[in-house]
Amino acid sequence: MRAFGNRPLVLALAMAVLGFLYLPILVMMLFSLNDSQYTGLPFNGFTLHWYGEVFADRKLLVSIWNSVYVAAGVVVLSVLFGLPAAIALDRYDFPGKGLFRRIVMLPIVLPGIITGIALLSFYLTVHMRLSLYTIMLGQGTALMCITITEVFARLQQIGRSQTEAAANLGANEWEVFRSVTLPGVRSALAGAMLIAFSISFDEIAVTFLLTGRDNTLPMTLWSMLRREATPEVNAVATLVVLMSIVLIVGGMYFSRGRGVASRES
Amino acid sequence: MTSGIELKNLRKTYDGHGQGAWAVDGVDMTIGAGRFITLLGPSGCGKTTTLRMIAGLETPTSGQILRDGVDITDQPVTDRDMRMVFQDFALFPNMSVEQNVAFGLRVRRMKGRYSEAEIRKRVYQFLDLVHLADHAAKKPHQLSGGQKQRVSLARALVTDPQIVLFDEPLGSLDASLRKIMQIELIRIHRELGKTFIYVTHDQDEAMAMSSSIAVMRGGKVMQFGSPREIYDRPANRYVASFIGHAHIVDARMEGRDAEGSVLRVGNGQRIRIANDNENAAVGQTVGLMLRAEDLSFEKAGADTLGGCVVDSLYRGEYVEYVVELDGNAGVVHLHARTDLPALDQGAPVALRVNPHKAHVLVQ
Amino acid sequence: MESVASTVLSAGARETAVRSARRLDRRRMLFWVLPPVAWFSVFMLIPYALLLYTSLGKVEDMRFIPGLSLDNFIRVFTVDPYLGVILKSARIGLMTAVFSAVVAYPLAFFLAFHVRSSRFKFLIYLLVIVPWWASYLVKAYAWKTILGSGGILNVALQKVGLTDEPVRIFLYNEFSVVMTLTYIFTPFAVLSIYAQLERIPTSLIEAARNLGAGGWMIFLRIILPISVPGVVAGSIITFSLAFGDFVAPVLVGGPESVMVSNVVINLLGVAFDWPLAAAIGLVIITLGLLLISASGWLEEKTQTRF
Repeated sequence: MRAFGNRPLVLALAMAVLGFLYLPILVMMLFSLNDSQYTGLPFNGFTLHWYGEVFADRKLLVSIWNSVYVAAGVVVLSVLFGLPAAIALDRYDFPGKGLFRRIVMLPIVLPGIITGIALLSFYLTVHMRLSLYTIMLGQGTALMCITITEVFARLQQIGRSQTEAAANLGANEWEVFRSVTLPGVRSALAGAMLIAFSISFDEIAVTFLLTGRDNTLPMTLWSMLRREATPEVNAVATLVVLMSIVLIVGGMYFSRGRGVASRES
Repeated sequence: MTSGIELKNLRKTYDGHGQGAWAVDGVDMTIGAGRFITLLGPSGCGKTTTLRMIAGLETPTSGQILRDGVDITDQPVTDRDMRMVFQDFALFPNMSVEQNVAFGLRVRRMKGRYSEAEIRKRVYQFLDLVHLADHAAKKPHQLSGGQKQRVSLARALVTDPQIVLFDEPLGSLDASLRKIMQIELIRIHRELGKTFIYVTHDQDEAMAMSSSIAVMRGGKVMQFGSPREIYDRPANRYVASFIGHAHIVDARMEGRDAEGSVLRVGNGQRIRIANDNENAAVGQTVGLMLRAEDLSFEKAGADTLGGCVVDSLYRGEYVEYVVELDGNAGVVHLHARTDLPALDQGAPVALRVNPHKAHVLVQ
Repeated sequence: MESVASTVLSAGARETAVRSARRLDRRRMLFWVLPPVAWFSVFMLIPYALLLYTSLGKVEDMRFIPGLSLDNFIRVFTVDPYLGVILKSARIGLMTAVFSAVVAYPLAFFLAFHVRSSRFKFLIYLLVIVPWWASYLVKAYAWKTILGSGGILNVALQKVGLTDEPVRIFLYNEFSVVMTLTYIFTPFAVLSIYAQLERIPTSLIEAARNLGAGGWMIFLRIILPISVPGVVAGSIITFSLAFGDFVAPVLVGGPESVMVSNVVINLLGVAFDWPLAAAIGLVIITLGLLLISASGWLEEKTQTRF
């Protein structure tokens, strides 16, 4: 008996909020089909012309690929460095631990521009040329705290007894990591990777200052939107949303099948 | 002021189509006003679901709940004047002990019933009743489990409900604290004279506190009676083995007269017991319930059962002997004083059955 | 003799065993600690140090001259637009955080208390997340389409007859910036508030009803006080992200809704005043550190312990 209060009222308000959330999405999707040079009213009729434009726009397609590439790199970096950080925070007390925790969390509350400007001055000082990799390093630094937080929380939940039991049974450090730690944090890690990927894909603030010759999707969209935009921007955004829905539903299907199988075994 | 409850063919299923399992499967019960009754059974037997239906936290799929003859099956939970003491205490973590206890007096329904001064007086009166007046300003997370439970109790009682419902309230307390709280609850029940309906899986608790126990299983009531009835005269094998430790030996009812009944055990031995279960017909195969305390070592003779010692366990208070009856008639346990000479494994013994305690089961 | 020797030998062996275990543990710790610490030193501490170095200097004729003066910091707090812009950004951030929490609450409440089947919960959860994946830029741009003088809102108002001509106050000002940012962060607020509300045990609500409380009383006296600390914790992130946003002011904002990130970008571009930008950056970094510490302390003090 968890429900309380005026149910019709709550339902109406909740649906209103959902409606609010979807209003711009629906606008975006609708106006991607607009037979007009402009992204706004008037609505002249339905056309798939702009979707065709997306697939013909080489620059746009390349930038989509760049975004995927950068996001993948960011995910790899956050796991490579974030996982050890979470383990270090969970298991050990080292000098400067408190400072380290704060530093790690800092990028979340900083405007991306500030993180960007700090890294930009660093790259300029070491004469590193701006490229997709400089973006990767910058976003990786900013988004690493997501992986660290999620994995750390899960490690705290699991506690120490499993690791101790494994060590007691004679496992060495690598075996403990592979058979106890890693499986234990698997789902938290996967969740963090997904979040990091999706944030990186749409990231603009850090990217803005660290982009070289190759653009990511948000950068391309930004330049398109600064001039007068055509419905092509709506089309590509709709495609991205649909793509991510497909990926998530597919991912769920896949993982649920796995989950059931493991439960049955 | 208190009320009695009557349950009529109460049924509850969580499966919308009625194809699935029935959590409560036809419960009929009459609970007299002012009584302390317990619903007893293992988890999943339907006792908590029944309690929650009485409180109005679940709606019955079919059946009726009557209070002093009035049908309250549809009455909303907020209107029923029955307070519940929850298993996890359910104290409001953002309020102090005093605010928690006063909560039920400050709801809108009670506006005007008590003045602010009266509310404070009542709150402290009940905090005194549970010996927690000194902790009135504390927050729940600062209290121990036993203290939280007592606050929960005070909060329920302060509103002067007609019926108090308990959902395994002592489950998370340690053994010694539980015993203390049980005595407290009996005392409070006696002082207030209200109907207490209690749910537990702990039979010692049920037997110690209640005037009547309903043993439940699979959504049905197996037996509803006083602790003594349930213990000495269980209605069926399930109740017999659920309450206390009992061994049930197959036997045949051979004869019956005014003096008593004669039972023939599997190995041919006969014993005579007092007339017990009227449903047992001559010639019928029955179960003979033997509790450890109903057996004693005797010299072999008429009306004894022969067997040999299989095992012995030192229990501190007594020595527990495991005896196998001759001819594979069954295995029984009995207790002996620790200062008597010990019996070796394999030693032949003769057992006397207390004719007034042995109980015959037909189901 | 023999026994003494063996005792000494075994004592020595024991001693070696203890030392080795400690050394091993230390090596392991370094294995886990060093890589992340190295990363953050290279990609955060050194860049921040460089920022500090830059902020202490000045720019003349498009060339950077290192120095040791706090002039730039003084300019941040005294020269006209800078402090004002920081405060305005803070105000916009605060409004965004509050509004998105208020808008999000009914949906989070519905999800936590009125949806029983976990499949339905998951579905709505997904529905909340999906808008998040649409490009931030395009969503902000969509608000332009909605709020503009030729936009959907205006057309609707005119159709219904509430106005005769397009209303201009919907777009290119602080209102549209706050509106857009609130929209962007509402999904996050929904999930964070939902997480708080879901923690509340059902028995509390049942106990309150059992004691005779009505819906509003349960909400105002129990649910709200318990959920507020978590709501505030989530709002801190919303506040920070809204504070530092530069997209919304450019796409839907006007001259009076310029925010701190826009100012920093301008300083890096045409104005080429790196030291001042660095100084602003360091001020914000310091505020960020204070915010993290404050929120950690706040969460400790107010988080409800069940």
